Amino acid sequence: MAEHPIVSLSLANRPENLLVVRQALTGVANGLAFDALAANDLNTAVSEACNNVVMHAYEGAEGPLVVEVCALADAVAVIVRDHGCGMATGAQATGAGGDAEDHAGIGLPVISALARRVDFSDVAGGGTAVRMEFAAPNAGSLGTLGEDRSESSKRTADAHADSVELRLAPSPLARAVLARVLGTLAARVHFSTDRISDVQMLADVLAANAADSIDGSDLNVGVRLSPHALALRLWPLRSGGGESLLNSDTDGFAPIIERLTDERRVARAGAGEALELRLVDHPWDDNRWGLRLPPAG
Amino acid sequence: MPSVAIDKSSGSRTVPGVGEEPRRLFLRWQQDGDELAREALVRRYMPLARGLARRYGRSSEPFEDLLQVASLGLLKALDRYDTNRGHAFASFAVPTILGEMRRYFRDSGWAVHVPRAAQERALKVRDAQERLANERGRAPTVNQLAEYLEYDVEDVIDALQAVQAYETLSLDAPRPQADGEAVSYGASFGEEDGRYELVELDATVTAVLKHLDPRERMILHMRFVDDLTQTEIAQRIGISQMQVSRLLRRSLEQLRALTRSS
Repeated sequence: MAEHPIVSLSLANRPENLLVVRQALTGVANGLAFDALAANDLNTAVSEACNNVVMHAYEGAEGPLVVEVCALADAVAVIVRDHGCGMATGAQATGAGGDAEDHAGIGLPVISALARRVDFSDVAGGGTAVRMEFAAPNAGSLGTLGEDRSESSKRTADAHADSVELRLAPSPLARAVLARVLGTLAARVHFSTDRISDVQMLADVLAANAADSIDGSDLNVGVRLSPHALALRLWPLRSGGGESLLNSDTDGFAPIIERLTDERRVARAGAGEALELRLVDHPWDDNRWGLRLPPAG
Repeated sequence: MPSVAIDKSSGSRTVPGVGEEPRRLFLRWQQDGDELAREALVRRYMPLARGLARRYGRSSEPFEDLLQVASLGLLKALDRYDTNRGHAFASFAVPTILGEMRRYFRDSGWAVHVPRAAQERALKVRDAQERLANERGRAPTVNQLAEYLEYDVEDVIDALQAVQAYETLSLDAPRPQADGEAVSYGASFGEEDGRYELVELDATVTAVLKHLDPRERMILHMRFVDDLTQTEIAQRIGISQMQVSRLLRRSLEQLRALTRSS
């Protein structure tokens, strides 16, 4: 059967998104108890693959960058995909073209020196996938079975420039990866460290509590970025799942989600629901400050 | 689906070879021992070593040290590269140089050193956060911290995460107040228990709250009932915002475990 990613990230091939990928991978490496050397190998190799997508996959235009992490018995496989013009441009990074590449095109040699195994394949409908394996003795405990990915693979092809999509299978890594990804995005839209910490706390709560509300096994988290705001969308939730996540009557976290977010709303999504949350942080006209000031006049 | 596996011995799927001029330089160095040719090759390929030193082991070691190790790897690659085998020099040299750097990291105890350096950075970020928050009355952004400390944004983000993990560090130790008097936490909060019931949370949570440390209960109350920011809480009880963050996340996790098991 197809490999089922425990973590899947879909974002635009912008340079600033490399940091999001690296943070997600650091969460994975920490969760698998990688030592500093192994974590560095993983992050360096995957960064090179992503960098290639940023620089070359769309010939200067913008397009989706998809990064998937799969758990094998004794390794993790990281797949970096684009939906661009395929191997012809990818070859730029192999060092093809003789001497001129000397230091520009070292991406693929770096990847193959650091990964245990590297495979390239064409993506149906155009594009390239680089699959890299890294030894990870603890990976087997994460479980590799799950639903087939063909459906979601198609959907991830239309990543919006200002949005990031994260798909998490239930695993002990989910919480750390979600907290790191959301924290990094919060930093990008200039949240204060206060608010970044709120975002991390929200990630904790969502990762821990969403399981009861999800329709299926995987949680999708869509994040849309705008100046000083993050809009989160969680799906697919079963009918009533959104409300129960917000008003969960068993573990009492409703007030906490309420405190941590500025807007909350349950939306219909297909046969089920999506939970939409919005977090805002304004450096100087923060509403919380405003409320505390004595009334004018 | 067509699939191509990389030949790990060469690291390249293509056979681009090397240009005429470097080929002559390689012959002069490898066959005649011509030092000038070697110098020319070093000049030519130094950007490769530099690029690798920059990519690998980001911000964990002084760059000059990394560059020195990478250069050593480059010299080895210059000795061993076979111009007749048709590989690009880069695809031969990259594994050699990376191998040298990885060996150096292993031998020098880098895997131990790196977490320690990261920990030191995390404490610097924590202190800078506190200083900037006190100066400006509001928590700084990651960019402001990065600028203030001259760190990469990535280092600051790592530090924000790392501080969460340092359970046993000096973070919990008493720290001197401005007037030089040390405050020890925990003890002083015990008596204020009653004021900090999280009345707005439901019965299940309220029931398990009594299992929490009084200080953590108080911080939960300040954040989720009084709606104070973490910086405000930090200033009120004299700890850092990042410590407030860590305690909040830990108490929520404990609450979750307790409610699940009850």
